[in-house]
Amino acid sequence: MQRFSLRHSNWWNLNRVYFRVPSSTTAIASFHSGEEEPRNPNPNRPKTLRDVDGPLACLLKNRGVIRFDGPDTIKFLQGLLTNDVRSLAFQNGQGEIKSSSVPTPNQLLKYAPPVYSALLTPQGRFLYDLVLYRPPLPSEKLDRTGSGPGASSSSQSTPLFADVDASLLDELLDCLKKYRLRAKVEMEDMSKEYACWQCFGGNLSDKSSLDEEPDAASIGWGGSVDATGLSAAEGNNLGWRWYKDPRLTSLGFRGIFPSKTVPPLVESDKEVEEEHYLLWRLEKGVAEGSTEIPKGEAIPLEYNLAGLNAISFDKGCYVGQESVARTHHRGVIRKRLMPLKFVNKRDEEAEEKWVAPKSEVVDVKSDKKVGTVTTAMGCLGMGLVRVEDALFGGGLLGIRGEEDVRVKVIRPDWWPLEWVQQQQQQSATA
Amino acid sequence: MPFLSHSTPLPPSLLFHQKNYSQQESSKPEDAIHLTENCIRRMRELHAKEISGGEQMLRLSVETGGCSGFQYVFLLDDMQNPDDRVFEKDGVKLVVDNISYDFVKGSTVDYVEELIRSAFQLFSSKKWIGV
Repeated sequence: MQRFSLRHSNWWNLNRVYFRVPSSTTAIASFHSGEEEPRNPNPNRPKTLRDVDGPLACLLKNRGVIRFDGPDTIKFLQGLLTNDVRSLAFQNGQGEIKSSSVPTPNQLLKYAPPVYSALLTPQGRFLYDLVLYRPPLPSEKLDRTGSGPGASSSSQSTPLFADVDASLLDELLDCLKKYRLRAKVEMEDMSKEYACWQCFGGNLSDKSSLDEEPDAASIGWGGSVDATGLSAAEGNNLGWRWYKDPRLTSLGFRGIFPSKTVPPLVESDKEVEEEHYLLWRLEKGVAEGSTEIPKGEAIPLEYNLAGLNAISFDKGCYVGQESVARTHHRGVIRKRLMPLKFVNKRDEEAEEKWVAPKSEVVDVKSDKKVGTVTTAMGCLGMGLVRVEDALFGGGLLGIRGEEDVRVKVIRPDWWPLEWVQQQQQQSATA
Repeated sequence: MPFLSHSTPLPPSLLFHQKNYSQQESSKPEDAIHLTENCIRRMRELHAKEISGGEQMLRLSVETGGCSGFQYVFLLDDMQNPDDRVFEKDGVKLVVDNISYDFVKGSTVDYVEELIRSAFQLFSSKKWIGV
């Protein structure tokens, strides 16, 4: 914190009003809130993040925090979740090696990167998504004097933290408790004590090779980077730190931090409302939470969860595994979640038009349905669209019942080539 | 004993029998867990091989995991816990803890020898419901 505020001390006392927009969650209509009528967009609502420089950070109010503790935690979660969580179980001396070679009092030399995963129904439909974090143990860090490891705790188990959809947190806990049986796992809601933050945008996404925050990378004397200071600056004094988002590099950094504190490296004028983060995800076509990914209905592979590192295909059995593995290895995924842009007939961004979620995307000429809008905000949205029609159909796409709205489907740049090629071959042979 | 560590998804019909974990409920005869002749014979063989001489019990427990969410596991155990239910037939003991019992009541434990594997298996006498 010290090193950081040296650089930004001028900004430190500024009121945090620059990018603040009135919190208006009503503006973010989503798939399931059927009663939400399209309404006038908030005038302060961000329109695009293209011209924003520097990384933005926001507190994710839509995410709550759960703590898992107990000797059976890893085994329990491994049997339920779509991703391999064993990487979070390492003992001292293993783990991913960090670029910094010098451990600092507040940060580890090695850490386990967070794991994104989902809980499915036995039939393979999406229920909840979780990002799992393993906070460092005191015994794995240097103590305050820097001369030795911190006090070792008596318990053998390492607690895990997960950020989950806040609106369904209690339901998720009930569901997990139903599966608990005799497993020695304690789960509790820690949303009061901890909050989830995301740091994204600006030049973060360009630095794909760097594992660190760009602001942290600038720490050090001219011409060199102070690796120790860098790793110290990314975390706070309790060891809570920014991690690279496990889904995509372009989503930036994510982390859990004690609530009512601002995470390290968040500039006061770059702290924004959650809508900015939604906008950023809309541009990338990444849905998050059980509202954007309809609970109980969504097929995980259609929502690109495999490409977002949520699914391990070699971990063994988990709930819903049969359906996911079969579709992945044998089937073709015809529909995928893609970013949508709503324009008017003159190809201008249809700002005045407000497309409601659940609207049908249709081919204008044939009036054939090609997809559904799942999330919409202003002229941007996401929808589950047939890849073939969207990318190779060539026809104009519109919204059923909205004569003057045209839909542009954008292929996100993070998509693997196979996803498109598979469809291309199909449409070529057809 | 490698064949014992194999875990198998719980038969779907049993997934819907999870009730309140009512311990007071007296076990009705139809809720008892039955052992087949094969199962008893195999347990006797295992007892005969046992060098320590202690009569080991067959422990059946249900745990989380598997494609449908729950799976059953067989273990040989010589400890009996306070919350265990014991089913005995011809000197062979099967122990099931109370929470697992709610899932498996009324079913039958068999020992099958197939080319692919030889293992204890759980059969539900109730009609199977397709998933």
